[in-house]
Amino acid sequence: MSTITVPPAGSAVAERPAPAHRPGGRLDSLRLLSYVLMVAVVLIYLYPIAYLVNTALKSDSEFIANPNGIVRHPMVSNFVTAWRQGNFGASVLNSVLYTAVAAGLGTVTSLMIAFPVARGYLKHSKLWAGLFAAMMFLPNTLVTLFQLALHLHLYDTRLGYMLILASGVGVGPLLITGYLGSIPREIDEAAAMDGAGYLRYLLTFLPTLLRPVLSTTFILQAIGVWNDIILATILFTDKSKFPVTLGLFAFKGTYVSQWSLLSAATLIVATPLLIVYVFLQRYLVASVVGGAVKG
Amino acid sequence: MHRNYIVFGRRWTAQWTFLVGMSLIIVFSLVPAVGILVISFTDIRSLPFLPTHWVGLDNYRTFFSSAQLAYNTKALKNTFEFAISVTLIQNVVALFIAVLLNQALKGRTFARAVVFLPTILGVTVIGLIFSLIFNPSGGPAEALWNLFGGSSAFFGDPGLAMALVIFVQVWAGIGVAVVIYLAGLQAIPQELYEVADLDGASRWQQLRQVTIPWLAPSVTANTLLSVIGSLQSYQLIYVLTGPSNPATQVLSLAIFTAAFGGGAGGSVASQGYAAAISIVQFVIVLVVALATLFYLRRRETAL
Repeated sequence: MSTITVPPAGSAVAERPAPAHRPGGRLDSLRLLSYVLMVAVVLIYLYPIAYLVNTALKSDSEFIANPNGIVRHPMVSNFVTAWRQGNFGASVLNSVLYTAVAAGLGTVTSLMIAFPVARGYLKHSKLWAGLFAAMMFLPNTLVTLFQLALHLHLYDTRLGYMLILASGVGVGPLLITGYLGSIPREIDEAAAMDGAGYLRYLLTFLPTLLRPVLSTTFILQAIGVWNDIILATILFTDKSKFPVTLGLFAFKGTYVSQWSLLSAATLIVATPLLIVYVFLQRYLVASVVGGAVKG
Repeated sequence: MHRNYIVFGRRWTAQWTFLVGMSLIIVFSLVPAVGILVISFTDIRSLPFLPTHWVGLDNYRTFFSSAQLAYNTKALKNTFEFAISVTLIQNVVALFIAVLLNQALKGRTFARAVVFLPTILGVTVIGLIFSLIFNPSGGPAEALWNLFGGSSAFFGDPGLAMALVIFVQVWAGIGVAVVIYLAGLQAIPQELYEVADLDGASRWQQLRQVTIPWLAPSVTANTLLSVIGSLQSYQLIYVLTGPSNPATQVLSLAIFTAAFGGGAGGSVASQGYAAAISIVQFVIVLVVALATLFYLRRRETAL
């Protein structure tokens, strides 16, 4: 809706050669200062994580005796205990399921509604496009979602939770509508001439053509679903259905101030994310910029 | 010219696939959104077998009644304190980090990745990390405090809890803002700096005359994102201090506690009342967002 002139998502992380710096002695000290500041920024982010790892390896008694020192007798058993007591295998799997299904369904939905509107294949397309923009801006619906789940018998069900999260498509339809502007209509026509029906075109041709924007849509929604804790809190009572956010939070409630165990549990949850991040980092960053700028 | 022209023969398929997609959104997003307004005029409760009545504007009267006024004013004040601080600090620091990491420094790609990391860690992991750091019985923050001869309950200290929550929110959310600013910085044509150099402009003048005007659209995007986000956010506050800590009670959490209990505002305990708070919040967000957008757009053209 807003026309903000920031380059397309892909170029956001593209390494452009940095401006040639003007020569001069003063700039060398400036560069040194820049390095010092950069290291400081990195430390502000890595220190808390390093402290977490350090604590996770300590025994309770070592943590109490020396909370801030570097671990002397590393204990891997914390991880085993945390994994068993916290049942994190199940809650991680739940989160993966919720994220994949909700973000996947949300992305397909975004495509199904955005394509005909972008192409003007429906009456009142302009009106629908306006609705897509308005959908970004809704009140807090916790109460009605709870009542809706109750009345549709979706309370405390995985299905209800995933359907609600899937419907939160956010910026998705707008992103896809925008991207379709760069796909010539002639491609639609050519496919139709070759005998492809609408449905086949929508579900097999378009996903290939729109891959960058569809993955952006998916990733943006996936981050939101993965992070949810409030909706899970109000919809689930059955612990075996908890996503990992809620599972970890409940674990914290049970093992108050057993910091070594809590740290081990936190790391168990964080490690797969860190691994995914190492591989998908550029992609994730580009997606978030692409989505944010559009909003 | 192409309006309503469809290349795929019958329009019917386009219509029903659109309807299938829209029905998911209508049922689980739009109906709940409109429903919030409707049930804000009722006394609906969390137990389905209790009768529901129309109560007119009672819930709104309750919100502004003297019994609730102190609590709600506090929630409003907290919401604004949180939103304004997060928006200002996050934008200024993010711009600073973006300018820093836009220079030709070795390791800047790594630094950018590190700053963005919290976006994927998620609120519970971040909440637990900072509960550990600000652990009042022997965390590193406590050790630092002790060096200066003090001691603090951190998240348990009503005078400090809000500041710490703001800090953690900025720590967690700044990555997105940095990346948006970096994208904006890279869109500035380098020739402009070269010309400015030839004209003998100082670094400060270059920042003022070139960088800032060119970044105005990114500033608008970032400011709007953090204003709207922080006026409605509660996941991180919920994890750090719980739903009903008066020092960090924001409107979103007031909705949560009114509807689902666990809070000091629980005397009313009607979801109709919670819905009324949602509407009040919605109006506030709408007004603030539009005002911010209007103001920033005017500044953009003025620059």
